[in-house]
Amino acid sequence: MNVMAHMIPFFPDLERSRRVAAALHDGGAAYIEVQFPYSDPTADGPAIQGATARALTQGFTVDRGWEFVATLSAPVFLMSYAGLVYARGVDRFVAAAAEHGVEGLIVPDLPIDSDEGLFAAGERYGVNILPVIALGASPDRIALVHRTRSRYIYASLRRGITGTHTTIGEENISFISELGSQGARVLAGFGISTAEQVQAVTAHAHAAVIGSAYVRAVLEAEQRDQDPYQSVLELTRQLTQVPG
Amino acid sequence: MNGYFGEFGGRYVAEVLRGPLDELDQGFNEAVRDSEFWAALGQLRDEFIGRPTPLLYAANSTAALGGAQLYIKLEGLANTGAHKINNAVGQALLAQRLGKHRIIAETGAGQHGLATAAICAKLGLECTIYMGEVDIARQRPNVFMMELFGATVVPVTSGARTLKDAVNEALRDWAASCDTTHYIIGSALGPSPYPDMVREFQSVVGKEVEAQLQGRGITPTVLVACVGGGSNAIGFFSPWLERSAPRLVGVEAGGRGSLTGEHAARMNGLGRTGIVQGYKSLFLLDDDGQVQETHSVSAGLDYPGIGPQLASLGASGRVEYLRATDRQALEAVQFFARNEGVVFALESAHGGYQAMQLARSLPPDQVVVVNMSGRGDKDLFITARELTPGPWREYLLSEAEQ
Repeated sequence: MNVMAHMIPFFPDLERSRRVAAALHDGGAAYIEVQFPYSDPTADGPAIQGATARALTQGFTVDRGWEFVATLSAPVFLMSYAGLVYARGVDRFVAAAAEHGVEGLIVPDLPIDSDEGLFAAGERYGVNILPVIALGASPDRIALVHRTRSRYIYASLRRGITGTHTTIGEENISFISELGSQGARVLAGFGISTAEQVQAVTAHAHAAVIGSAYVRAVLEAEQRDQDPYQSVLELTRQLTQVPG
Repeated sequence: MNGYFGEFGGRYVAEVLRGPLDELDQGFNEAVRDSEFWAALGQLRDEFIGRPTPLLYAANSTAALGGAQLYIKLEGLANTGAHKINNAVGQALLAQRLGKHRIIAETGAGQHGLATAAICAKLGLECTIYMGEVDIARQRPNVFMMELFGATVVPVTSGARTLKDAVNEALRDWAASCDTTHYIIGSALGPSPYPDMVREFQSVVGKEVEAQLQGRGITPTVLVACVGGGSNAIGFFSPWLERSAPRLVGVEAGGRGSLTGEHAARMNGLGRTGIVQGYKSLFLLDDDGQVQETHSVSAGLDYPGIGPQLASLGASGRVEYLRATDRQALEAVQFFARNEGVVFALESAHGGYQAMQLARSLPPDQVVVVNMSGRGDKDLFITARELTPGPWREYLLSEAEQ
C-alpha cells in the first residue's frame, strides 16, 4: 500500500531524524513528507506542533532543511507554511526545492487564489505544487483545484487539525474519488494511523498520508531510551502491508 | 475578494477556513446594510456598553505640561473597561445572525476575552477564551472575571504562551468547529474580512470624538493612540484616514530595550513584511521568517504583528509611529492619575506618554487628543508591584495567610 510518511528534520534532534528517514525508506514508504518547522503552525495539532517547536530549538534552519532533504532517496514532498516560503521569496524557495530534488510542495496557507506566485514558480522550476483541499469544501473551490491541472492533490479527510482519528466512510471516499476524477493523484490524510485506514484510503487514493502517528512513534522510542529506527521501521511495515 | 490595504492584508488561510471566512464576509456585508442590525447594535451600545464615553478636557495636565491643550477620550469607561467591547458586541450580534451558538476568542491582556465573555453572557452564547499561560499569570483578575461571566478559559501552553499563541489555538479550534462556532478576533488583524469588520465596529470611538470636538468648536492638531494589533487606533483614527489633518500618531511598545525579544515595535524599519496568521503585514521575524519573541509590560501590546491597514497607513506616511518604554508607560499612568483622577491601562499609557511629550512641545493654540482605550484597574497587580513594591508584598502575604 502506498504510504506518504511524514517526518520533521531535527526532531527529536538531527541525528535521530536521520535515523527516522532511514527507517521510512527501509520500511517501504512510497513518499516522504518533510515538514519544515515553523514557529506558528496553525493547521497542526499538539503532536506535530510540539515536535516542530522542539526541532526549532535543535537548530533547524531553512538552509539546513535543504541539506537534509538532499540526503533522502525516496521521493520527497515538502510541507511548510507561507511564513517561511514568503520570507525566503517564493521564487527562490521553489528554485531551492527544485535544486534539492523535491517532488512537490505543500503550503496550506498559500491557497490557489492567494498563492503569491507559487503555482507559476512551480511550473518554471518543474516542481509540483499540491493544492490542499479539505472535506466539506465548496464545489467552487474543488473546481479551482481541478483547474490547476496539478499532478498531485493533497486532501484532508476531515475538518480541523492534524492528529485526531478520522473515520473512513462514504463521505470522505466520494470526496477522494471526486478529486481524482480528472486524473490527479490524490494524497489523502489527516487522522490516519492504522493499516485498516490505509487500506480503505488507498483503495481510492494514490497514497495515504501518515503524520502524527510517526511523531508519537518517535516519542515512544525516546521514552524507552531507544533509537527511533526500529519503532518507525515497524510502524511503516505495518502501514504499508495489507492487513490480514 | 478584495481585503487588501496597499500590499498588506489578504486571506492566507488553509482551505478548511476558506468556507467560514467567505460566509463571514457575506454575512458582515449583509449586516452592515441592514437597519435592524444597526438598531440592535445601537441599543446595546446605549444600554450595555455605556456609550457615548466622555471626552475629558485634561485641564490640570495641560497646565502642568505647559503647551498644547490636552484631551482624553475616556474609552476605558466602557463596560468591561476597554474599547474591546465595541467589537465584541458587534461580532457577537453578527454570530447570532449567522446562526452560531458558540463563540471563541483569543485574549492577551484579557480585555478582549472579558468583553467577549460579557456579551456572551448577555446574549446567551456559549463562550471559550484562549489565553496564554504567561498572560494568565500576569492578568489573573481578568481570568476570574471571565469565569464569573460563565466563560471557559483555556490556558495555551505552546510557543511563547502569549497572545500570538492564543490566536493559533483559537484558529485550530475554529478549523474543527466552524459549523457551530464564530471566532471573534479582538484586533484589526487576521485574514480578511476581520480587519474591515473590527475597524467598522471600533469606528464608533472616532465618530464620537469627532462629534464631541465639533460640539465644542475644537479642531484637533494631533490624535494619539497606542498600537498593539491596532484596533483602538484604527477605530479612533477612522474618520480622518482619508484627510490630511490632523496628524495621527500610533505608539508601539518600546519594552525594556531595542534588542530582539525586548520590545514589540514593528514600524520604522524594525518589522519585515511577512505572512503570519492569515494576513500579510509587518512582523518581527528572523531571516527565515520565524516569528520572534516580544516583550512589553502590557500584555495587550506584545503581539509581533501590526494590523494590515495600519501597516499600510505607515507606509503611506498618513500615520506616524513612535514608541514608549515600559518605564515611560508607568510614568504616564502616575501622571494622569495625579493630575486628572483617571487611571490609564498600561497599554493606553504608551499613548498617554507620547501625548504628554507632544503637548509639551506644541504651542497652546494646538490640540492633542489621546485615546485612553482602557482603564488600569486590571493592571493593579503590575503597577502596585512596580510603584510600591514593599507595601504591596506585605499586603499579598497577609492576604495569602488568610
